[in-house]
Amino acid sequence: MGASAADTQDVLMELRNVDKAFGGVKAVDDVSMDLRAGIITTLVGPNGAGKTTLFNVITGELAKDSGSIKWLGNPINRIKPYQAARAGILRTFQDLRLFNEMSVEDNILTAIEDNSVPVPLTRVQRTARREKVDYVLNRTGLLSKRKIRAKDLAYAERKFLSMARVMATDARLWLLDEPASGLDPNSYEKFLEILREEVRQGVTVCIIEHNLDIVIGISDRIAFLDRGKLLADGEPQTVLNDPELRAIYFGERT
Amino acid sequence: MEAYLLNLVILISIYSILGVTLNFIMGYAGIYSLAHAVFFGVGAYAGTFMAMHVNASIFVTLPVAMAVGALLSLILALPALRVRGEYFVAASLGLQVLAVTIFSEWKSVTGGIGGLIGIPPLDIVGYEVFKPSQFIFVTVGALIIILFVINRLVHSSFGRSLRAIRDSESAAAAFGKNVPLIKTISVVISSAFTAVAGVLYASYFSFINVESFMLDTSVLIMAMVIIGGTGTQAGPIVGAALLLVLPSLISYLDFLPQTEIGSIQQIIYGLGMALLMIYRPGGIVGRKKQSETGKE
Amino acid sequence: MLALQLTITGLQTGALYALTAVGFSLIFGSTRIFHFAHGATFIIAAYLFYYMNISGYGLIPGALVATAGAIIFGLLLNRFVYVPIQRDEGSFFTVFVASFGIGIVVQNVVGMIFGRGYVTVQTPLSFSVELMEGLYVAPLAWISMLCAAVFFGILWCFLKYSQMGKALRALSDNPELVRVFGLNPRFISACAFTIGSILVVPAAIISGATSGLNPAMGHHVMLISLAATIVGGIGSVTGTLLAGLALGLAESLALLYVDSQWTEAVTFAILFLFIIIRPSGLLGRSTAH
Repeated sequence: MGASAADTQDVLMELRNVDKAFGGVKAVDDVSMDLRAGIITTLVGPNGAGKTTLFNVITGELAKDSGSIKWLGNPINRIKPYQAARAGILRTFQDLRLFNEMSVEDNILTAIEDNSVPVPLTRVQRTARREKVDYVLNRTGLLSKRKIRAKDLAYAERKFLSMARVMATDARLWLLDEPASGLDPNSYEKFLEILREEVRQGVTVCIIEHNLDIVIGISDRIAFLDRGKLLADGEPQTVLNDPELRAIYFGERT
Repeated sequence: MEAYLLNLVILISIYSILGVTLNFIMGYAGIYSLAHAVFFGVGAYAGTFMAMHVNASIFVTLPVAMAVGALLSLILALPALRVRGEYFVAASLGLQVLAVTIFSEWKSVTGGIGGLIGIPPLDIVGYEVFKPSQFIFVTVGALIIILFVINRLVHSSFGRSLRAIRDSESAAAAFGKNVPLIKTISVVISSAFTAVAGVLYASYFSFINVESFMLDTSVLIMAMVIIGGTGTQAGPIVGAALLLVLPSLISYLDFLPQTEIGSIQQIIYGLGMALLMIYRPGGIVGRKKQSETGKE
Repeated sequence: MLALQLTITGLQTGALYALTAVGFSLIFGSTRIFHFAHGATFIIAAYLFYYMNISGYGLIPGALVATAGAIIFGLLLNRFVYVPIQRDEGSFFTVFVASFGIGIVVQNVVGMIFGRGYVTVQTPLSFSVELMEGLYVAPLAWISMLCAAVFFGILWCFLKYSQMGKALRALSDNPELVRVFGLNPRFISACAFTIGSILVVPAAIISGATSGLNPAMGHHVMLISLAATIVGGIGSVTGTLLAGLALGLAESLALLYVDSQWTEAVTFAILFLFIIIRPSGLLGRSTAH
């Protein structure tokens, strides 16, 4: 594939021969790939290709059957979800999983607080948090909704809250599971702008996305999954122009 | 009349402690326990054991009772970490049944079915508190302290984590919450404070037996929390007051059979629970549908 | 010989447990309603039969009235409590609390009418017969097992061959299927409640003659039903049936080692182990949370 810009970045996460089966069905089948720092890698593929399962395996939500995963050079093979988060790997959920009974503000505060044991905060910490929350709310356009319960928000607002929770943290890698699905054109323009800005500031993103316009618009690199197998991983143009992959993607499978 | 009121307020404050501590795990952590009376009993028996055999000072009885309650609560935490909802209700129901058997059978400590009599009064730095007019300050004071501590917890980051876990466990974990640890801590804190209520109860009556710590009591506490308002601060206290005043209200109504006051009380709160769930699931104090949660 | 004696008693108890538990499991599996008042259905059926019995009516009228009472109670509860709650979001918790509240009401109303002590249905069928040396079995033991066999046989045919039975089974496998069937969900849940309530009746009647009745025993019935449902695997009728039998046997055989007041502890220990080690149960779907 040659040494393109996307290839020269540092590898943040390294997956080698990762397998995960449910019953007899291989949801993730011998996947090896690298997630490189500072770029957006897009996971594409038909429904049931194993994209979300891959996220679940990376964050330890599901235990993989075999293979290895390294994060910043260290193996994280038996990591638990909360440890993954603390290590700087955050993910969103396709079904959002907001803290529904809590206010928008509390949702974000919860995301940035990492203490499990009840210890009071210092004044300085409080102020820093408040500023962070204000910044994130402002970016996602939720400033006027801060006291509203998450479950009382409109659909697009809920999607943005899901993003805001991640943005508020210091995580280095974001795993985003269809964050733009169902958004109207205005909202997803705003979404893309936020995403690009965050990546400019040093965040690394791996995103699951179906909308081809968005895929083309944001991807620095594309990984193509089908039936658990990684069929391609490279430059967007190369992957998207491959006729065989196009056939699978558009359902013209023979 | 004065004696009656004193007694009522003392009972309300003791049951409020039970309600507040149950509400802490039920309303904020989503752990619906039908075994709350177990830790009430554990506190009562542990405190009584210390008072009768070692020292009646509250600086001995309270810490020991709280420690024993906290330690044994790990038995409740274990299934709570594994499962939630219907599974946990079953586990706590089973634990309650088991505890009653142990309370009735472990005669050397609990006095069996007959119970324990002659429990020494509270000893606060050498001063013995047993008159209701003095005891009332102890129970109300204990309630205020516990309420204050729990209120602080609920409005801290810890409380937010608890509510986050209640709303979505997987999302809470995905944001770095150590879910098992947080749940365990909440159960331990709740049970330790529940044990305090046990110590107060035992020394107030100077008599305890297993009947105070059976499933009926767990149900009563749960009814207090639900009727008052789950997940609210004032709810458990309102609920406790309401359900404890109920028997005397019933006794004013002459047309009701006076020998059945206990049953009528239970029928009223049973109906109350069902009707509230249909028309106002948030309880009496609880918010209506559209308002917000969390102040901090 | 003691072991054999306890095995037969255990099978008798287990058969009754299985009937009650399958009733609960069927309702819970196909409607997702945490019908905690299932214990109250048991109480109502048992005391109606007891009342008919002391009023001098025979077995058949008594059984019919008990069955009618159980069905009516189940249907009324579904219609006037569960349906309104489920209409707006109705979480597990709200349904549970409402059901629990109704259970308390039934327990106390029955207690006020019939007293809170134990009552027993008198019948010569509960007198033990010495089958061989040291082995005493009452005819009721065989009747219990036969009853369970007949009821489960009918239930099995119903679930396998009738349209409604297939719908109930499919719903237990996958609760999201409600809309796929052309059937009205209201009607399906009414059916589930009818069948679930009927299954309680034989256990309630026979318990009245063997262990005796007490208004507070609804909680025990619920503990057993819940334990069997969870141990057997939520959504699996067969699993619940086996678990109910196993729990009865375990309680009875435990008497070889411990005193009788610890039998509930045995149920609890088994339930606890399953919750910790295998929350999906014997034959349950693997998703437990």
